[in-house]
Amino acid sequence: MTAENGARGPRWISRLFNRDALVTMIFFVILGLFWEYGVQWFGVKSYLLAPPSAIALEFWRSGAVLAENTWITFTEVFWGFSLAVVIGVPVATLVFFSNLAKRTVYPFLIALQSIPKIGLAPIIVIWFGYGLSSKVIVAFLFAFFPIVIATIGGLGSTASHLEEHFRALRATRMQTFWRLRVPSALPNFIDGCKVAMPLAVIGAVVGEFVGSNDGLGNLILTATGAGNTTLTFAALLTVTLLSLMLFYAVEYWDRFIWWRAA
Amino acid sequence: MTNMTASIASASTAINIAKVGKSFGTLNVLNSVSTRIENHEFVSVLGPSGCGKSTLLRLISGLIPYDAGKIDMLGEIVDAPTAKMGFVFQTSNLLPWLNIRDNLMLGLDLDPNGETINERAFADLVETLGLTGFEDSLPHQLSGGMKQRVAIGQALIRNPPILLMDEPFGALDALTRDRLNVELLRIWQKEKKTVLLVTHSISEAVLLSDRVLVMSERPGTIIEDVKIDLPRPRDPSKTREDPAFGDYVVKLSRLMGVD
Repeated sequence: MTAENGARGPRWISRLFNRDALVTMIFFVILGLFWEYGVQWFGVKSYLLAPPSAIALEFWRSGAVLAENTWITFTEVFWGFSLAVVIGVPVATLVFFSNLAKRTVYPFLIALQSIPKIGLAPIIVIWFGYGLSSKVIVAFLFAFFPIVIATIGGLGSTASHLEEHFRALRATRMQTFWRLRVPSALPNFIDGCKVAMPLAVIGAVVGEFVGSNDGLGNLILTATGAGNTTLTFAALLTVTLLSLMLFYAVEYWDRFIWWRAA
Repeated sequence: MTNMTASIASASTAINIAKVGKSFGTLNVLNSVSTRIENHEFVSVLGPSGCGKSTLLRLISGLIPYDAGKIDMLGEIVDAPTAKMGFVFQTSNLLPWLNIRDNLMLGLDLDPNGETINERAFADLVETLGLTGFEDSLPHQLSGGMKQRVAIGQALIRNPPILLMDEPFGALDALTRDRLNVELLRIWQKEKKTVLLVTHSISEAVLLSDRVLVMSERPGTIIEDVKIDLPRPRDPSKTREDPAFGDYVVKLSRLMGVD
């Protein structure tokens, strides 16, 4: 079947077992074993550091609770991130093209970015309540700035010789924007999204920490409070996996921007 | 001898340049440049680096405004890029996200008059450019010479009567350059274009042109207008054998201070 690359079986298997991936896997297996037996060897109390086997068991036992809270956190991240894109891109475009916006909106954004958003979170909960919206807004605040900055940078990265070419072809401002500036800005924009996505996850969890009745952040807090360290670890790991998954969901779009390095 | 008096433009004049000057801030780049280029003429501009020859071409195209004098293209004053000219840049300005077909079509896609081209004419153009079979390739998959052909195609697709070329072959190796020179001559003869070519290669200028304009150091002005009386059709290998070719090269080298 895949005789041309000398491998047998489906592609994902050969990809999983290629040498580089194997090295990574072995590293993590050793790390896991060290953790598992290190905890036993040094007699670390399980409420301080749970061994991987206990965490795995917890995943099995509390699967439904974890899934339910993951969905809630995911929803918050999804709306927070989407809002950051939907508002961030037009704001960046405005700042890029308008000198007035560059002198008013832009410094305002920088000031906003300079406020520690963790400190802002309690006020946002007071304003917007314990429900979904306050978490969406905190996630949005974390994701917004990198998207704006990346988009401004992307719009500015249009090669000047291509702009001149478009002028020689008598392209209108709209044509130059859609057919030249937007594609030129996409690689930077996607990079910005890659930075913003994990930040949106952090934002949602911070929001949940400060005030919520559910979500993975809430689960971490309640589990820790109840001395259920294995559940805390399981929830932490779930946040990590959610963040990774969302990051790769963004990176997936990279393949449609083949001109990045060209 | 130098002919710097701007004659009155006639119906056969493609480009008339009268006492044109340009400064960038305090830097005086061009000083009272005057010449006339007839329809279907092939004219090259030679000059030392930084003499303003590329700037002159941009003034003629309308890409940048001039401060003094007057430029007419086919009887109309130039104040912005028009459909009368196609511009070929030093670097092939291909959009990396479009394949060769779409890059060629860009000239038409952006055309304010909404001109189109039929399949047949497009295939002819691709053939003329020697790009058949590469329509679906992306720019980064092409050699420098091929990219430059696409760039020429982008200018040709709107079928402008005048081609303005800014050192289009400067970055290419000698062999590719020769080949593209031949193709350019063929296109010029077949399509009856007026070509104004900025180059720093003396032999390229002699090989291709009816006239070679020599520019001075900055602030640039035309110091010599040399008519090239070599038989056409020209061919790099044969034309270079012609003793007259060597004489022109020597003469132009002297004028440019190359010895």
